[in-house]
Amino acid sequence: MTQILLLEDDPGTADEIRLELVAAGHGVAHRSTLAAAAEAVRAGGIDVLIVDRQLPDGEGLDLIAALRSEGFRTPALVLSALGSLDDRVRGLRAGGDDYLPKPFALVELIARVEALLRRPDERRDTRLIVGPLDLDLLEGKARRAGRPLDLLPRELKLLDYLVRRPGRIVTRSMLLQDVWGYNFEPNSNVVDVHIGRLRRKVDGEGEPQLIRNVRGQGYIFDVPA
Amino acid sequence: MFRPDPRTRATWRWGGALAAILILQSLVLAGIFWVTANGNHRRAIEHTLLDDCGFFALTPPAERAEELRERLARDIHRERFLALFDANGRRIAGNVATIPDLPPGTSASFVAPVAPTELPGKTSDVARLTLCPLSDGTRLLTGMDLDDTEEALRLTWQSLLLGLLPGLCLALGVGLVAGRRAARQVDAVRLLTERIVSGDLAQRLPVPARPDSFGLLCAHINSMLDQLQMLVAEVRGIGDDIAHQLRTPLTRLRAGLERGLREAEDRAGFEAVIDRGLAEIDSLLGIVAALLRLRELEDDERRSRFASIDLVRLVEDACDLHRPAAEDRGITLLCECARVPTIEGDASLLFEAVANLIDNAMKFGPPNGTVTVRLASDAAVPTITIADEGDGVPAAERSLVTQRFYRGRRDGVGAGLGLALVKAIVDLHGFALYFAACGSAVTIRCAREMPAPLR
Repeated sequence: MTQILLLEDDPGTADEIRLELVAAGHGVAHRSTLAAAAEAVRAGGIDVLIVDRQLPDGEGLDLIAALRSEGFRTPALVLSALGSLDDRVRGLRAGGDDYLPKPFALVELIARVEALLRRPDERRDTRLIVGPLDLDLLEGKARRAGRPLDLLPRELKLLDYLVRRPGRIVTRSMLLQDVWGYNFEPNSNVVDVHIGRLRRKVDGEGEPQLIRNVRGQGYIFDVPA
Repeated sequence: MFRPDPRTRATWRWGGALAAILILQSLVLAGIFWVTANGNHRRAIEHTLLDDCGFFALTPPAERAEELRERLARDIHRERFLALFDANGRRIAGNVATIPDLPPGTSASFVAPVAPTELPGKTSDVARLTLCPLSDGTRLLTGMDLDDTEEALRLTWQSLLLGLLPGLCLALGVGLVAGRRAARQVDAVRLLTERIVSGDLAQRLPVPARPDSFGLLCAHINSMLDQLQMLVAEVRGIGDDIAHQLRTPLTRLRAGLERGLREAEDRAGFEAVIDRGLAEIDSLLGIVAALLRLRELEDDERRSRFASIDLVRLVEDACDLHRPAAEDRGITLLCECARVPTIEGDASLLFEAVANLIDNAMKFGPPNGTVTVRLASDAAVPTITIADEGDGVPAAERSLVTQRFYRGRRDGVGAGLGLALVKAIVDLHGFALYFAACGSAVTIRCAREMPAPLR
């Protein structure tokens, strides 16, 4: 079981996050001060950090910086208040960490944590075969159980992104960010429409559904058993 | 020290300074007068005294006493002292009793008290004197009474002092008036600030038609107050808007949950209630997030992250993102991109702005119509125009639609923050947002219309 360190000083928020993470099958260690969190990380066994920024004894980003200088590479998800999005937070992405602006949906948090836990398959494979799917990225073609899928380039990219993250929640804003390359929260269902079309093309008559909707704002690519 | 009121200090300072200047001027004037007058008078006296010495030296010794008496008789003003003393210092003739003590280092003439013999009621008188030895061993004391000189000097001082008195009063008066005036002006500002502190922002300072430096200061304070009043009104309005906008969905949410609790009978019923509740909460969170984003966009720091943007790609991406949604609604989404120069900006934000405008066009245009997104170059300035086939925003509402929570239609679609967000993004870039004179076209003109941001 993965062990997640949650550094958050508001007990209500911490409880909600903890319950959600536990429900998703993760172990959670909750700390409410920088000092206690640093101690827990140094003791070892932590896979991911979830770090709030304003804590009673300082700034969460400083803890991450301190741990990095001690050689700890544990990935971290920073919860930052919107409206105070500064360059330091933005720079996290480059360092293999992530940030989530408040207020956030719990499903988004789980998706991001899982993305940090299991780095996607970043091999530059141009041919992906997962379950019944066969994606040839060089040719720009996809097949399901031998049946050619008539996908637009963007749809192929979407499918590629989902297939590389099997069994994990992928949220709308993750898709916009990583497939389209723009970082914002859509206020309409534009992404859902894309996924809907992709799903109709991928799932033929009588075939099991490969892309599942997660209530709220995400999708999961299920590898058929 | 007792300080009754700090504002009277100005009065005392002005008055004091003027009085000091007047006193100094009087002293200098008196000094100059005294030095000049005294010098002239002394030279005149010495001349007379030397004349006497010369005259008596030439007079035969036997006639000197007689000549001396005659001269004294002619001195009707009784200002002359003349006396002849023998070698032993005894008086032979004249109106001075004894030879006065010579002050040490005496030159041609000296000032000393003498004992007059013929002035009734006077035993001593100050005079300028000369003692000249004559050929037969006798000595002639000749002198001039200084009463007149002293009198003249006294008069000078008196008149200066008398003149100084009204001068001082004048100085204090002018100081009082000037100080009062300054204090009154400062008082006006002080009273105003007191009223502003207590919440009355409508007050303004009077500014004369031909303002002095203080008047200019007042004008500046007034324009500052205008700005302040506008900002406060805006903040109050936003606070009211937010409360109002959140209250409606919250009320709806509460009513829905209450009814669900009362009426739902099985698990499916409760799930439906919870789903509706979650949807309401998501829309509430959406409002909060949009407000926070607006706030974030007002932070100019974001400009430091500007980079070169290929608008053709951005517009094509936006069309690509919306095309399936448009097709689902039976709307034709046309994308016309001309080659345009790259611009500096934040790609995600501009994408969000364009996406919002496309979204609006699809929402508010006529059903089964066409939405056109056109990237063009207007005098080397890239312009992004989004138009549907509808009438667009009514002219009267155009200045309102970019305000927070303004909804063109009261049909409950959206929170009325979309165009406010677009406007904020456009403003952040220093670009301009235009509504077409007729029709629904909205244009973002991508030219910096304000000074370049500090890097």
